[in-house]
Amino acid sequence: MSAVKRVQQWASFARVWHLFDARWQNPFDSGVLIAKYLKGLYKPLYGAQSLCGDHVVVINCRHVALPGNEWRKRVYFHHATYPGSQTWTPAWEMHTRNPVMVMKKAVYTSMHGNLQRRHTMMRLHLFADEEIDPEIAPRISNVIKQIRPVPERLDLMPEEKVKSFPQIADLDKDYVIPELKEYPNWESKFRKMKKEGKKK
Amino acid sequence: MVFLSVMRQVGFRFTGTHRGPDKFWRRRRFFKMTAHFVGRKRNCFRIAIKYVHRAMVFATKDRKLRKETVRDLWETRLEGACMEHNFTRKLLMDSLSRHNVLLNRKSLSNLAIWEPRTFQSLMNIAWVTAAQERIRGADGLGPAPKNVFVPQIEDEVD
Repeated sequence: MSAVKRVQQWASFARVWHLFDARWQNPFDSGVLIAKYLKGLYKPLYGAQSLCGDHVVVINCRHVALPGNEWRKRVYFHHATYPGSQTWTPAWEMHTRNPVMVMKKAVYTSMHGNLQRRHTMMRLHLFADEEIDPEIAPRISNVIKQIRPVPERLDLMPEEKVKSFPQIADLDKDYVIPELKEYPNWESKFRKMKKEGKKK
Repeated sequence: MVFLSVMRQVGFRFTGTHRGPDKFWRRRRFFKMTAHFVGRKRNCFRIAIKYVHRAMVFATKDRKLRKETVRDLWETRLEGACMEHNFTRKLLMDSLSRHNVLLNRKSLSNLAIWEPRTFQSLMNIAWVTAAQERIRGADGLGPAPKNVFVPQIEDEVD
């Protein structure tokens, strides 16, 4: 093999580092997309036996958007193999404990359960916010397109833009504009409810 | 008694004359097939013969299965190649066949690997065709590539 060909071989099987911004994305849809990059399914020379999988760095896992009422309804099961040690943790609670876990599980379940899955998962690097490990950041060379556009929030828009937006009709003088309040602390409330339930 | 070669002589090692195929050579035929096995199924004939029969059954079945696996691989590779350009494999195959471009999965996936520009131009033709013919699934892909001119497909009249 000539030197040029050898370099070509290295180049075609080099691991590429992709970046995915999970802000406002459905983790279950994006899990399927990320798995394709982790396995190298987007390459024309893909082979199950060849090492063509890539690394994927996911940022903003904390700001993931679950569809519908999944935050309440989705439950993560865990069993520590001792009798009675099974736990069912709702997604919102899991997310408060570990902001990365929902995204991680979504990618994990999007792949078939084979011997390769755990090794493939090693190539996934998850970060709760925008800060990336300084060792990893310079390796990134590609950005995966988000599945859906991130909507612009009214409460985060600059005031000038909101005011300059054309108004169809004038509001009544008596009309009360409701203020946006922060969400109540659901976690402590649910824990209280759980404790009370156990006492009964 | 005439021995024409050494090999013939081995058959008559212990018995002067005998009928039927020689035991040693008959078994050797099967042991050749078990050379890559592990354990007693490699050297003990009684066990080896069972595994040889089993292996031959698998070989017969897999002759057909292998074709399916390779075909699946071509399809995944084509999907990957189309994904690079935000296109889909099904649309590619559909629109190319409408133009009577009869390239199969194997040659298309080979083109995608070794001649990516050729593959891209074929894909462009397919994309424009899919948009012109309004093939199902072509709407959500975004705008078709510009500066590609494809003749309209005429309906076949018998």
